[in-house]
Amino acid sequence: MATGIKDRIAIIGMGCTQFGELWDKSPEDLIVDAFEEALADAGLDRSQIDAAWMGNALDDINVGNSALPLAHALRLKSKPVSRVENMCATGTEALRAASYAVAAGAVDFAVAVGVEKLKDTGYGGLPLRTKGLANDLWMPYGSAPGTFAQLAGAYTARHGLAAEDLKRAMAHVSWKSHQNGALNPKAHLRKSVDMETILNAPMIADPLGLFDCCGVSDGAACAIVTTPEIAKSLGIANPVTVKAIQLSASHGWEAGYSEWDGAFVRNTREAAKNAYAEAGIGANDLSLTEVHDCFSITELVTMEDLGLSADGRAIFDILDGRYDRDGAMPCQSDGGLKCFGHPVGASGLRMAYEIYGQLQGRAGDRQLAKVDFGLTHNLGGQPANSVAAVSILGRLN
Amino acid sequence: MSEEICRRGISGLSGYLPMLRLDRTSAAKALRFAGLGGRNAGYRSTAGWDEDALTLAAEAARNVLGTAQPDRVCFASTSAPFFERGHAPLLVDALALPPQTRTIDVAGCRRCAVSALLDALLGSDDSLIAVGEKRPVPAGSNFQFAWGDGGSAVRVSDEGGAQLVGHASSSHDFVDIYSSREHPSPYGYEERFVKETATRDIIAPTIKAALTDAGIAADDIDHACVIEPLPGMWRAIGKACGITAPNHASELSAAAGDLGAAHPLFSLAMAVDAAKPGDKILLAGFGSGCDALIFEMSGPVAGTEQARQALTHGLIFNDYVRFISLTGALDLDWGVRSEFEQKAQATVLHRNGRDTIGFIGGRDTKGSVQFPKSRIPVRPDADGPEPMEDVRLVDVPAKLVSVTADRLNFTPDPPFWFGLVQFENGARVMMEFTDADDEGFSVGDEVTMRLRIKSHNKSRGFRTYFWKAGPLRRPAMEA
Repeated sequence: MATGIKDRIAIIGMGCTQFGELWDKSPEDLIVDAFEEALADAGLDRSQIDAAWMGNALDDINVGNSALPLAHALRLKSKPVSRVENMCATGTEALRAASYAVAAGAVDFAVAVGVEKLKDTGYGGLPLRTKGLANDLWMPYGSAPGTFAQLAGAYTARHGLAAEDLKRAMAHVSWKSHQNGALNPKAHLRKSVDMETILNAPMIADPLGLFDCCGVSDGAACAIVTTPEIAKSLGIANPVTVKAIQLSASHGWEAGYSEWDGAFVRNTREAAKNAYAEAGIGANDLSLTEVHDCFSITELVTMEDLGLSADGRAIFDILDGRYDRDGAMPCQSDGGLKCFGHPVGASGLRMAYEIYGQLQGRAGDRQLAKVDFGLTHNLGGQPANSVAAVSILGRLN
Repeated sequence: MSEEICRRGISGLSGYLPMLRLDRTSAAKALRFAGLGGRNAGYRSTAGWDEDALTLAAEAARNVLGTAQPDRVCFASTSAPFFERGHAPLLVDALALPPQTRTIDVAGCRRCAVSALLDALLGSDDSLIAVGEKRPVPAGSNFQFAWGDGGSAVRVSDEGGAQLVGHASSSHDFVDIYSSREHPSPYGYEERFVKETATRDIIAPTIKAALTDAGIAADDIDHACVIEPLPGMWRAIGKACGITAPNHASELSAAAGDLGAAHPLFSLAMAVDAAKPGDKILLAGFGSGCDALIFEMSGPVAGTEQARQALTHGLIFNDYVRFISLTGALDLDWGVRSEFEQKAQATVLHRNGRDTIGFIGGRDTKGSVQFPKSRIPVRPDADGPEPMEDVRLVDVPAKLVSVTADRLNFTPDPPFWFGLVQFENGARVMMEFTDADDEGFSVGDEVTMRLRIKSHNKSRGFRTYFWKAGPLRRPAMEA
């Protein structure tokens, strides 16, 4: 009978690059920068690394196939390295792979690196496939904001809300993240923005305006994991441990069967339920969350999907400040995808980086008073066809 | 004519127009500085970026399909999108007809659909002829306002309500206009030459021969559908033939433009819609000669009401720049996102093309309907492969579950509308929307399916087709 991975993995080192439009950085530069920070943080020598997983979502335009770019960049001599990809949930997928390797006893020290070089596309937004598959004969070529904007109309229809009220709550989500991002030296967008500017921004995909959309960024993040016993042997008395990592993927139900109303993300609910069970905690035990706020509407429904707000109440909780940095359940203390940025394959590990720092009291100006458990929510695909990864981090004792 | 031939006739007849109608008077003001644009009135039907001759023909054909399957499908157009790829076989799949259906494409001049109709009437098959035109027109030319985009379709069988009672044909390499591979847009010769010579030497003699074949006099004609090579020629043609009946082809030109090969059958649908039993109708197609056919009304003909209604329901616009962008006369630089092109694979089309263009989903063993079909159904309690029965979704009532107007992704006529569509039979599909009116789309809207271009790979000259959700009803145009 599987017992899960709670407290069987310790995170002993993490690194994260500056996110943003890093015109002067190659993917290899980003990998090295994130890894070297993590290695120094862990106090290890690179020869001690047993295995590595590289998360990279969009191989067509940036890093390249396989994990060879990682092996080359880090000069990991003949080590087992693999590339993982699960759309925007790729970063957490890399951490999951490394964690499972340690939990299985296969290796002592494993590395998870997430990296993306989106600004080599030559335009804003995410790139599109150029290969014609069967689905391309009928599926819409919707943009990422277009696919997530679908949540908004369905949400107001389900809960009988006015579009204007939803828009204001969405604007508060972005306003809050800009406030937090301004305190984060590694964030892509470090500028506070007032509510009126957000509300009056140009429309991208109705009802999502410019400030309802996250940044499209370059960046990398890295975690080094081992067992709690080894961590202690290295002098880390109370290491940060993984309490849970759970993944849920669509099987076609949302867009293919007549039950989903389009106003929530089922995989987030499934992954969260399983993560709480694995960690042995409830939603109210959390101290903070880092969720996949690719768009403001995503964060809004995620608050309900994670069980932090009752269904239909997220807009009121948001406007009441519950998820602000000084609120009862801070969300995106680092600025989130919205302002820290969204180098796709790195984002899940970037979320863990913030929780890791907060648990260790190393979050600088953003440090929260009391942090026991932090949750990361990493969402790939679109609400109608998604992969949701939820992890919970805490301390061993 | 022999008694055997007289029993053949038209059992279905219809027309289809794109939703957009250019207000010619307003739009022509944009050309005033150049002294171009002429004195135009009325409307010019304008195809959306995702419409072409095939989709327009398919939409018209839907109105005349009925329950009995035709033996033969003919596609007619002078603006067919492909030189080498049959359009009639695409129509067979789009209309979900059996693959055993015989097919043929006809082209060559704008008379082709009338010639095909005459051949069908003189033959013995149950035939469907579908016609579509979206002809390239240069900005500033007379053609851009005088011509329009549209489709028409006719069903020929032994039990037609409009029976052929006489006909005549003339072949004549008369070059009033031409287009070619080297010159895809039309080139026209002197109008005075065309008006005088076409009437005197081609159209009037052919009509007179058809009257003789039918054994009737000119004043026996109650409705005329005579193609005018140039606007305003009916008066001279009618006078030369002694016919005083109204010409529905002229009415159609004013309301939507000259629809090329689709024009004769569309105007014939208007005439049949207006006719009463016993009325005689003259149809004359023109282009490299003339075919004149005379019909006598003896019973109902399906589909004509939709043609009449198409004339008065649409969305009026007067933006000349949008117009020349839609007609291909203006090649805008849409930015780098427009560089996106997706290569359709022949192997994928081989496996999935028929179900895609036919919008064929599947019903599993417990009655759940889905699109596309899959080995293991999407039904939550399915636990292994199941056989699926074909279910066509094209005519199933549907509503919107979610929607957005996407302004980031490239589309040649922004914004890009799409969302989740719920069909009444339980199927649901994430789809693109088309024909947005000024109010756009909202959750809960009822929608109808329209065959449209799904992807257009310009660099390789290829396109794929799928269905898009459009408004259930079109706005009524002001009188």
